[in-house]
Amino acid sequence: MNVVVIGNGMVGSRFVDDLVARDPEARVTVLGKERHLPYNRVLLSSVVAGKTVPESLAMATADSDRVRTLTGVPAIDVDREARTVTDAAGGVHPYDRLVFATGSQARIPSIQGVATDRGLLPGASVLKDLDDAQGIVGALPKARRAVVLGAGVLGLEVATGLAARGLAVTLVHHADRLMERQLGSAASQIAAGSLERLGVRVVTETSVARVLDRRGVLSAVTLTDGTEVLTDLLVMCAGTIPEAALARRAGLPCERGILVGADLGSPIDSHVFAIGDCAQPPEGGSGLVAQGWDQGKRLVDAWVRADAPVAASTDLGEADDDELDPTNVVRVKALGLEVVTMGLSGKFDHGERELRAVRMADPAIGRFVEVVVSHGLLVGATIVGDKQCASELSAMYTRMLPVPSDPAHLIIRPLAGAGRPAAVAVEDMADDHTVCQCNSVPKGRIVAAVADGCTSVDEVSRATRASTGCGDCRSLVGDIIRTCGAAAEAGASADAEGKVPALAGK
Amino acid sequence: MTERPAGVATHCPYCALQCAQTLTPTPRERLPLEVAGRDFPTNRGGLCQKGWTSAEVLRARDRITSPMIRTADGGFRKAGWDEALDLIAGRVEQLQAESGREAIAIFGGGGLTNEKAYALGKFARVVLRTPFIDYNGRFCMSSAAAASNRAFGMDRGLGFPLADLGGADAVLILGSNMGVTMPPFVQHLAGARERGGLVVVDPRETVTAKLASGDQGEHLAPVPGTDMVVLLALTHIVLAEGLADLQYLEKRTSGLDDVRRSVAGWWPERAEAVCGIPAEQLRSTARLLAQASPVHGGRGAYVLTGRGMEQMSQGTACVTAAINLALCLGLIGREGSGFGPVTGQGNGQGGREHGQKSDQLPGYRMITDPAARAHVAGVWGVDPETLPGPGVPAVRLLDSLGRDGGPRALFVHGSNVVVSAPNADAVVESLRRLDLLVVSDLVPSETALLADVILPITQWAEEEGTMTNLEGRVIRRRKATDAPGEARSELWILGELARRLGVDRGFPEDPATVFDEMARASAGGVADYSGITYARLDAGEELQWPCPATDGTPHPGTPRVFLERFNTPDGRARMIAVDHHAPADDVRPGARTYLVTGRVLQHYQSGAQTRRVDELNAAQPESFVEVHPLLAERIGLAEGEDAILTTPRGEAVATVRVTEAIRPDTVFMPFHWAGAGSANRLTNDVTDPISGMPEFKVTAVTIARASVPDSTVPLGVSVS
Repeated sequence: MNVVVIGNGMVGSRFVDDLVARDPEARVTVLGKERHLPYNRVLLSSVVAGKTVPESLAMATADSDRVRTLTGVPAIDVDREARTVTDAAGGVHPYDRLVFATGSQARIPSIQGVATDRGLLPGASVLKDLDDAQGIVGALPKARRAVVLGAGVLGLEVATGLAARGLAVTLVHHADRLMERQLGSAASQIAAGSLERLGVRVVTETSVARVLDRRGVLSAVTLTDGTEVLTDLLVMCAGTIPEAALARRAGLPCERGILVGADLGSPIDSHVFAIGDCAQPPEGGSGLVAQGWDQGKRLVDAWVRADAPVAASTDLGEADDDELDPTNVVRVKALGLEVVTMGLSGKFDHGERELRAVRMADPAIGRFVEVVVSHGLLVGATIVGDKQCASELSAMYTRMLPVPSDPAHLIIRPLAGAGRPAAVAVEDMADDHTVCQCNSVPKGRIVAAVADGCTSVDEVSRATRASTGCGDCRSLVGDIIRTCGAAAEAGASADAEGKVPALAGK
Repeated sequence: MTERPAGVATHCPYCALQCAQTLTPTPRERLPLEVAGRDFPTNRGGLCQKGWTSAEVLRARDRITSPMIRTADGGFRKAGWDEALDLIAGRVEQLQAESGREAIAIFGGGGLTNEKAYALGKFARVVLRTPFIDYNGRFCMSSAAAASNRAFGMDRGLGFPLADLGGADAVLILGSNMGVTMPPFVQHLAGARERGGLVVVDPRETVTAKLASGDQGEHLAPVPGTDMVVLLALTHIVLAEGLADLQYLEKRTSGLDDVRRSVAGWWPERAEAVCGIPAEQLRSTARLLAQASPVHGGRGAYVLTGRGMEQMSQGTACVTAAINLALCLGLIGREGSGFGPVTGQGNGQGGREHGQKSDQLPGYRMITDPAARAHVAGVWGVDPETLPGPGVPAVRLLDSLGRDGGPRALFVHGSNVVVSAPNADAVVESLRRLDLLVVSDLVPSETALLADVILPITQWAEEEGTMTNLEGRVIRRRKATDAPGEARSELWILGELARRLGVDRGFPEDPATVFDEMARASAGGVADYSGITYARLDAGEELQWPCPATDGTPHPGTPRVFLERFNTPDGRARMIAVDHHAPADDVRPGARTYLVTGRVLQHYQSGAQTRRVDELNAAQPESFVEVHPLLAERIGLAEGEDAILTTPRGEAVATVRVTEAIRPDTVFMPFHWAGAGSANRLTNDVTDPISGMPEFKVTAVTIARASVPDSTVPLGVSVS
């Protein structure tokens, strides 16, 4: 089987790796537009933030002589009748199955002056590929101020990353709240507060109207409300557009992205498939790599299982809730700004009878947690500023694990490692309290040993074996001996001085 | 008052720490000897409750003191040795005549002395000439061994003296609870704890995890089955933040580029959603380890692995991921830093070196290697052509018993597979299919009770031999008392059986003689013991292998391995890219809780020995299941009630212990008990494709009250 994959990004390359590993018949040609081998695009903002060295972005590729990968060679034409793809170098690649994994491109908003004949105005940039990231990093030594347009996940990551590098950052956002697709206003306000603490100025309900330059280099931006903001950098994080142009030209039905059914195949051509950001499946594209990887895996599953139907996007079991997509976890990677959402979040019908939504807001320390539960399962959550809660809830959500009978327990305490009992004072310890775990020695036996005349830890150890294993309780045994002694002394003197023996050792 | 006889210096009968003991004979007492801790570099005089009470097993009430033969009514009768051995030999010859040499199989154990393990492997290959021998170490160290062998060309367990840990700034422990399994070990963690550098990765807040509390370190509690993700993310961070020891990687390893690419997809925020550990905690842990590493001027760091992350269907890959992390930090083959799996069974290390494994010959040689076959056949005085090829690993071996073309007879030595193997109900079925089951044991273990013949054997203080501890240190086991009744060493038994099966020589009873032959067989192998003698050990020399024979000055042993080079053809450690996959039996609708299994301090392995010690039994009398309060509340379980646990393999009933020291999505059962409370009736026998290790440590399970009153159905049951 000849497979042509258009796109050599995170989704396309992983799909190919998986396919050749599991289907010994598959021969694959990959056409990659970029010069680079596949790399981790999710971490581009970390490169900008200086948290990740660019060399660590390169991702695994299929190691097989059944894969031919052409980099820097975009596909320019698809002939669906002949079942061939033509690349920019003139190569013609026949296929039995064609997979679009062309991803998306950055949306460049209409800003006066930002586009020039030679591309974007120097100083203005998007952040979609490695070249963009390296361009921004290259401009940093001379930059003191930055404007980030768009407060989605990427915008927040870039803004906090640049702020952490010491730049004065203004984050400009068109909506009335941050990450408006994921956050409600309460959560957004708390996140905005955290951003301000990190040194990011947040301006909402406005946008960048035009850019100003000095000698052909960005110097300031004017916002739609007329304000002028001096800046050395403008990073536009205004969303993405599925890369569907080639598919459109080939006559495949496209809306925002390439339309595919639940089987990830085009409704009009059984030889054509689309996965990742370029695809528009029935449940919609989330723009998350997890969705693309899940699609790639499902497609391979279907192909290797002798053309079994592609599984639904999630195994919903008995909870057939539309919202329950385990890949739909949105996580902002920003130091000092913890924002995670999953499933139902932001604006949804809180009055829905089947849903229990429990929320906690704690603005003073920048914390907000909301969980949404349906039929005993977590179907959504919004977490700002609570790392432990975020990680526990996302592990629970992605596995569809049942929640406690009172969902409030998901919020009011972390799920693991909490509730450590307070250390018991030696005096308050019950006689059956195990002091030496290694030899199951209770306090009572140590007290008895002291009563029998042991006065040192070594003597007690010999008599009881306490602290002869790991030795960790040695100091505790010492404390018990001392309290015994003090209690004995205090007991002796209590009659005379009228002291309460129980307090004697303190 | 009469003067007491002198004490005998030996080591504990139980785990791989092999704590040093002094045994003082007490001829007139109920027990034949008294046990005390003895100062030694590993245990520093410490013993746990198992060790202190070990003399009790010598006089277990139901100790087997003569051969037992099954009777027609299903019971046993006492028999003399000649009758029992003649019976066995006769049946073996008959089965061989009917079905060929592959009709007989052997199942060994990681608690046997080196001498016994060696003799057992030789008996299989030379007397029975069957390929079918494997052992319970397959359930213990096989993943760690496979990963070390492919990375370093050698598996020495800890490649350094245990005491080296004390000087390190950081110790990362994954899936080991030595605070419970080998308590005196904990002394060596004191330095790291003082410096805030103990990192414990465990889904439970175990005794060991608690050692990292406060400012002593970190406890990471991942979702069961995701230790691999923690490691991939830590390695990602080390590489992404430029913390790796690039000079070391360049000079001493190969394969970095593959590993770098393979971890590129495991950025901390993605890992967080899979393993449930906050991304920031993963970052701070990676930085803590890096700061402790020599490249950043630290005093050193160690990465230690245990069964918790090895007993997975991706166990070998998990250990490989741990090795990759340690290599990225430049830890391995450097004094003061290192990597090592913490061996479990008493002779888990030696037991995997001398030919008990289905694919190995003594000296950690591969049975498929013509040179290895020629060498060993030379020592054994047989034609290499007569040596069988590789057999199959434990789980497959057990499954094949009594099936078409599978073995019809099985010898079991030092193992209680009915309790310790996964999918225990299926194991019982397998054993019942056999035409002949011969079990050598101290006591009527659950496995022995299914036997056709039980042979009574000597143990621990009743015998001489050597063990190889978790640091590859060869130590002496010494006799302090006589065995009761007719109990005999396996060395004698194997010699007698060999003679009856037509092999008159090569199976001496004297352990020192066996050791000398074993040392010669190991010469030139990876695990080279040829420079070690009883005389050197008895003179107090501390010898860690490799210790080859020399012409002149005796080789001093090798406390620290790989200081100059790894045991690979190019001398470099091989970094191998690995990726994570979910457990074979993952949580799903209908089984939404994870079951993890493990141990308690008072019991050892299948409990065959420790369940017979009153003091230990009083402390831990029965099987139990640990449940988080939130889970207990949701499914209506209360402390002390019975819960019923179900997987596709079987069903178990255990007493509920409610504790916050476990994740709410996970329950824990110790596996030491047989019968209704046997955890291994639930565990999954799917195995690692490389090591054959079963996935003991994680399966989805359904848990409910053992009896739910008709009128009340607990809230939330519909989704559990």
